[in-house]
Amino acid sequence: MKHTAYSKEHARFLIKRRKNLTLVWTLRIGVLALLLGLWELVTACGWVDPFIMSSPSRIAKTIASLYADGSLFYHIGVTLWETLAGFAIAVVLGFAVALLLWWSETVRKVLEPYIVVLNALPKIALGPLIIVWFGTGSEAIVFMTVLVGIIVAILHMLSAFIATDPNKILLMRSLGAGKWQILFKLVLPSSYPALISMLKVSVGMAWIGSIMGEYIVSRAGLGYLIVYGGQVFKLDLVMSATFLLCLLAAGMYALVVLLEKILVKNAER
Amino acid sequence: MKNILQFQSVTYIYHTVRGELIAAKDVTFSVGEGEFVAVIGPSGCGKTTILSLAAGLLKPSDGTIERSGTFGYMLQKDELFPWRTIEKNIYLPLEVRRQRSPQQRERAVALAEKYGLGDFLKSYPAQLSGGMRQRAALIRTLAADPDLLLLDEPFSALDYQTRLNVCEDVANIIRSEKKTALLITHDISEAISLADRILVLSARPARVLHTHTLDFGGVPPLRRRELPAFSGWFERLWGELNT
Ligand SMILES: Nc1ncnc2c1ncn2[C@@H]1O[C@H](COP(=O)(O)OP(=O)(O)O)[C@@H](O)[C@H]1O
Ligand SMILES: [Mg+2]
Repeated sequence: MKHTAYSKEHARFLIKRRKNLTLVWTLRIGVLALLLGLWELVTACGWVDPFIMSSPSRIAKTIASLYADGSLFYHIGVTLWETLAGFAIAVVLGFAVALLLWWSETVRKVLEPYIVVLNALPKIALGPLIIVWFGTGSEAIVFMTVLVGIIVAILHMLSAFIATDPNKILLMRSLGAGKWQILFKLVLPSSYPALISMLKVSVGMAWIGSIMGEYIVSRAGLGYLIVYGGQVFKLDLVMSATFLLCLLAAGMYALVVLLEKILVKNAER
Repeated sequence: MKNILQFQSVTYIYHTVRGELIAAKDVTFSVGEGEFVAVIGPSGCGKTTILSLAAGLLKPSDGTIERSGTFGYMLQKDELFPWRTIEKNIYLPLEVRRQRSPQQRERAVALAEKYGLGDFLKSYPAQLSGGMRQRAALIRTLAADPDLLLLDEPFSALDYQTRLNVCEDVANIIRSEKKTALLITHDISEAISLADRILVLSARPARVLHTHTLDFGGVPPLRRRELPAFSGWFERLWGELNT
């Protein structure tokens, strides 16, 4: 501990806070353990058919066998790559389009109905078209991921760009600033928090996009394992892949939170 | 005395989808070098419009505006950029005008130090009080060394006590830097305590109803408020605004 000069009351406050945190974490892990234990119990005792419900031990066995035949990291890698590629393209492209729409009000007005329709359209409806255009490889899934994520990215950034304080724009104009200067010195820096929240939202969208893509067309990936497992009634496989997906999504979320901390720290410097 | 700003029969009309709105009609006045001119008028009468015209942000629908020299615009709120330190905020006008010489930066920093912002240069706006922030906004406006300061109700967002102090502050800084200023306000006592000359505007569309030259000389704002002539001016201007 760096600070030792706290008052007694503050020390009590800190201890109480730490105790509370410990309690929360203990309970969180406890709930998980309880659920897994119950699940194992009811299937092991035969109260519920493990063929339908699978069970924690069977999931562990399935994952171990996937690992043994080398396909575990292959499938994880495929899904991860598709998700990240789709995420990156959607974010960069969405940001660029939002900039263009901010820059020209005419372009914005022209494209508005198209964006509204694209936003409302369930992307899964485009599945057959995507298969015809891109085949059944990873490209099709990356395309689907971009499609799902880009509109959200555009709308999120555009609303931040447009919300730039008009008085600050007035100030910049009174200083003689042109549009580029207003963009770089005012609009972009003031949209920084929106950029961070857009990244957070887009990670979620990318998972939706890639798994949805793998549901429609694919020969590999966690979404493929889930669909395949469902078709051949291997519920252990379905559950295992779902479990891995939970782990990956949680990991990525943690990374984004870390990134957010770094970015926010940078912004405050 | 050389004129820094000259309005000649200026009319301004806003065009919107709902129709047109005459914000200023046949406005004529001038601001001489070194003068502190205050413009008072009821709210919504077109004061900000006149200031935007003076700044060249709007083009008159009719009439002419002559300007000599550069100007700096100070708004109601400080509009400091929260992601920049006070120092970087003060450099903003220099950056925008691509005046990046070390001398200009030094001049800006010297100005900040002279007027009590020296310790706050590395702080962020959120760490400063409202009064300090407004002072920083003034230093930012002065950093580019404008010939004319345009002030749009610069104190109205502050609480009463801070407002009196900042008003005093700003008056001192403007006078000791020998700047020309055009102040817009709806606060009669603020106008009397700061200005050499007061223009009284009508309700919309704004026209210049009266022009008064005050005779306080170099007496600072808070002292002016204590003088007997102050209440005389107040009553007179109040009467003119409410007829
Ligand atoms: N951009 C604009 N478009 C249309 N009308 C405006 C615009 N700006 C101001 N007005 C109108 O012009 C009138 C004068 O506004 P303004 O100059 O801001 O008044 P003041 O600063 O004296 O309160 C008001 O009635 C206001 O509603
Ligand atoms: Mg106004």
